[in-house]
Amino acid sequence: MDSRIYFDHAATTPLDPRVRQAMDQFLNGSYGNPSSMHAAGREAHAAIDEARADVAALVGAHPGEIVFTASGTEADNLALRGVLEGQGAGDHFITTAFEHPAVIETAKYLERLGVEVTYLPVGDDGVVSTASLASALRAHTRLVSIMTANNVVGTIQQVHELAELTHRHGALFHTDAVQAAGKVPLDVSRTPIDLLSLSAHKLHGPKGVGALYVRSGVHLRPIIFGGGQERGLRSATENVAGIVGFGRAAHIARSEMGAETARLVGLRERLYDGIAATIPNAYFIGDRYRRLPGHLCLGFAGQEGEAVKLLLKLDEQGIAVSSGSACSANHAGEPSYALTAMGLDPIRARGSLRITLGRGSTQKEVDRFLEALAPTVQSLQTVASHSGFASRS
Amino acid sequence: MATTSEIELPGLDCGLCGFPSCDEMASRLNEKPDLLKRCIPLSADSLGVRAAPPTGESVSATTPFTAPVLDPAGGSCALGGDCGGCATGAVVEAETKKTPRVVVGGAGLGSGIERTWTDHLGREVDFVLDSFPEEEGPREMVIPHNPVLTRELDIQVGEVLVGRPLGISCGCPVTHCGIVQSVDTKNCTLEWCVTGPLHPRQQGFKDIGYYSAQAYEGLIKARRIDVEIGRRYWFQPRMCMMQWRHSGLVNYMNHTDDGIQVRIEGLWIG
Repeated sequence: MDSRIYFDHAATTPLDPRVRQAMDQFLNGSYGNPSSMHAAGREAHAAIDEARADVAALVGAHPGEIVFTASGTEADNLALRGVLEGQGAGDHFITTAFEHPAVIETAKYLERLGVEVTYLPVGDDGVVSTASLASALRAHTRLVSIMTANNVVGTIQQVHELAELTHRHGALFHTDAVQAAGKVPLDVSRTPIDLLSLSAHKLHGPKGVGALYVRSGVHLRPIIFGGGQERGLRSATENVAGIVGFGRAAHIARSEMGAETARLVGLRERLYDGIAATIPNAYFIGDRYRRLPGHLCLGFAGQEGEAVKLLLKLDEQGIAVSSGSACSANHAGEPSYALTAMGLDPIRARGSLRITLGRGSTQKEVDRFLEALAPTVQSLQTVASHSGFASRS
Repeated sequence: MATTSEIELPGLDCGLCGFPSCDEMASRLNEKPDLLKRCIPLSADSLGVRAAPPTGESVSATTPFTAPVLDPAGGSCALGGDCGGCATGAVVEAETKKTPRVVVGGAGLGSGIERTWTDHLGREVDFVLDSFPEEEGPREMVIPHNPVLTRELDIQVGEVLVGRPLGISCGCPVTHCGIVQSVDTKNCTLEWCVTGPLHPRQQGFKDIGYYSAQAYEGLIKARRIDVEIGRRYWFQPRMCMMQWRHSGLVNYMNHTDDGIQVRIEGLWIG
C-alpha cells in the first residue's frame, strides 16, 4: 500500500512543521506564565502579543479585539452566551438550521433559558438567503449567528449582505468562521461582523486553541470566571505554546492564501470532473462554485445506505474521508440535520461523503483516490438491483 | 446586466475562482465569460448571475428524488399499513416528501417523537422502543440470509458485525453495525446490539451481508396507548436512523422500574 491519503481536512488538519517549530520553544524551555512580571513571564506575554497580531491580521481586526479560547466551540459559546445569557426571557436570537453543533446546542440551551430562537431555512444550494433573514428579524432580535462556510457541505454564505442586514435592524452579527478562516478572505474592517469564531487546528495549527474576534465596543459577559485573563472574557492561564502555534498558522495561511486556494480549487475541480465522469450515479450536494476551495460533498444514488461500508473500504485502502453525517446510532435522530436542513430526503441526507483537501493534498493523491473510488463504489450493494449504476456497470 | 468587459473584479486575489490572481482571471474572461460565476466575492445578485446548479441530471442535488411507495388506495395489506415493503398493491412514483423548510424552536432538529407521535413521514406511532440502559444500542435478533455464515465466520460474542437488513422483515436501506451479544449455532441466529460505525472502524469487523431481523428487545418508556401482550403495534425504535415507524407483535412483557420490557417479533417497517 502507498502512503495514506488524508482527505478529511474539515475534521482537522495536520500540524504544519513551521508551526511546530514556532511552538517548540514554548514546549521545551520557555515556560513562563504570561501574567507574571518577571522575564520568563514577559517573554511568554510578548509571544502571545505577537500571535494575537497575526490572528487579528488574518481577519482584518485590531489585535486588542482578539480573545483566545480553548476551541472554536468555546468561542461560539462565548459569543452566543456572552450576548444573550442573563438578559432575561424574551430576547430573540436567529441562527440557521445547519450550523455547527457548537451553535445549535448553545441555541437550544438558550431556549431553555427563555430566549426565543428562530432557525432559518437553508436553500438546496446550501446557501442561506438574505430574504429569509429579512423576514425573521424582529424589533427585539439581539443577535444573529450564521456560519461563514458550512462544515458539512462546504458552501460559503453571503456574510457581508447578511451582516449588513442585521446591523440595519440594530442587532449584533456573529459568524462561525472556523471552516472558512485561512481559505476565504475575511475582513471585519469592511464587513460589519461583531463576533467571529476561529479555531487553530482547522488551519494546520494545534488543537486546543481557538479565538473570538470581539468588535471594539461590543459588550460580552464572560462564561468562565477567574483571574481575568483575556480582558476578563476568558479567565485561565493562557495556552502559550498553542497560541504561538495559532499565530504562526494564521500568518502562514494569510501569506499563502491566494495561491494555495487556487491550487486547491484546481484539485477539487479535478476531483469533481473525475467523479462525475466515472461514477454515473454520483450527485454533488450544494452550489458548484460557492464553496470552500478543497471541499466536496456528494452521494451515490441507490447506495446511500452503504456509506458506512464505503468509508470502511476506503479506509482499508489507506484513504481517509468523512461521512457528511456521522451515522452513529447514538445520534440516530440528529446526524443529518445539516443536510436535512437543505431539504435533502432522509436517505440522501444520511448517505453523503465529505471529501476535504488541504495543504498536503496533491494531484497524485487525487488521481489515486479517483482510481480507488469507482471500483469501491461499484463493489457496494445497491438498494435496487436494477438501479442505473448497476445496469450501466 | 453588465458585460464582462465592464465588470471590475474585486482584486482580492483570493484564489476561490481557481486562478491565483484577479488579473489572471480577467485575462480569460473575454474568452470564457462563464468563468465569472466562479468569483465568489462579487455579489452574485448585483451581477444578475447565480452560480449554476450542479451540471447534469445525475449530479444534481435539486433533481426531485423519487421513490416507490405503495398506493394506499391500491390493494389491501394484511397489516393495513402503507409500508411499501411488500410486493402487493399498486406501486406509484411519488416525489419524496421534503422536510419542512422553516424550523422554529427546535422542532425538526431531531427532538421529540413523543411530542407528535409520528415518524419522519408523518405516520402515527403507538410507542417508542428504547434500548436497555446498560447496552450500547438496540438489541436485535437476526439471521443471515446465508445462515451458514454464523458458523463459517466463527462469529463470537463481542465481535463487531456489519450487514444490511433485507427483504420481508425490514428492508432498511442502511448498513447496520453491531456488537454480538449471543450466538445460537443450532439455529444460526445472532443477537447483537446495533451501534454506530466507530466500532467496526476501530476494532475490525465481520460482514454477514444481508440478514433478516427476527426480533427486537427493549424498553417502552414512552407510549400513548396501553400495550398488551399478543397485539401488534406501530412503534418507533428510538435509534432508527431513518426514523421510520415499524410494526410488530408484542409477545413478551415485563414491567420494570425502567419501563416495560418487551420482545417484539413479526417485524415490518412501515
